Amino acid sequence: MSRKLAVVLFVMLILVGSMGLKTLVTAHADGSILMAAGGAPAPPTPYKAGGAPAPPTPYRAGGAPAPPTPY
Amino acid sequence: MPGPFAYLIWFVNILCEVAVVVCAFKKQTLRRYFLLNIYMAGLVISDIGRYKILAEYGYSSRQYQYFYYYSDAVLTVFLYFALSTLYSHVFSELKAESYVKFGTVLLLAGTALFTYSVVAQSSAKLVTHFVIELSQNLYFVGLVLTYVLWGAILKLRETRTRLIQLVLSLGVYFSLIAANYAIRNLYPSLSTVFVPLVQVFATFLPLAWAYAFWRLPEDARLVPSRLAVIPR
Repeated sequence: MSRKLAVVLFVMLILVGSMGLKTLVTAHADGSILMAAGGAPAPPTPYKAGGAPAPPTPYRAGGAPAPPTPY
Repeated sequence: MPGPFAYLIWFVNILCEVAVVVCAFKKQTLRRYFLLNIYMAGLVISDIGRYKILAEYGYSSRQYQYFYYYSDAVLTVFLYFALSTLYSHVFSELKAESYVKFGTVLLLAGTALFTYSVVAQSSAKLVTHFVIELSQNLYFVGLVLTYVLWGAILKLRETRTRLIQLVLSLGVYFSLIAANYAIRNLYPSLSTVFVPLVQVFATFLPLAWAYAFWRLPEDARLVPSRLAVIPR
């Protein structure tokens, strides 16, 4: 039982480490995808339709500078 | 649209992938490293399929995009299981095969669950988004697992040369792709150099594995522990 728990702990550590590494590597990513399998040229991602620049977020109305946080 | 250089590298890459399976077959290690060879055979089949679809529908077509990313996800899962068999080989003397299998399935399920929880928040094209993200996440899981396996090889004083060559080449390959991606995003102006380099790096793994199967006999031994600093 303790060996199985050790495996569970190992799996969790690997998962946290991998996702941390992914965050580190893709910190400055422009949305492109890192592909590893095979030597074929990578096409654009299918869920990014069109090449238009992204609009500003809709919940920031106006162009006024953001005030300091109240606390 | 890919240029002649991209096609040339791709062709060399396919030749190297075929060479891995042929070398393994000739040296009668096809069964011993079965999943590694299944992964390589899968790469050959997917590359041929990708070429056919690219030639028929074009680089920016939906058909090529979907085939490329879905086949990549399947191949990443194959590579993940191939890596787990390397774990089984390294830990074979500890009789830990059942634990390796348990850990492999648990980690795959955990990665899939994590990926779904991230992707579920973005609604558009959920399945495609999930498939691509799972492939990306499994790639990083594989990268970390390879480093951990190398640590285990040093710790256990593993001496099987072919096994060490297979693990090390996988580690170098993962690291090259990840470093290339990080540098490419840090310096976008250099992407014209670093994007084609991914294809060149992709040739490294089949080349190194073909060498391991062809030149290194199964009973060859070396002492990697000499590389580790051991305090006296």
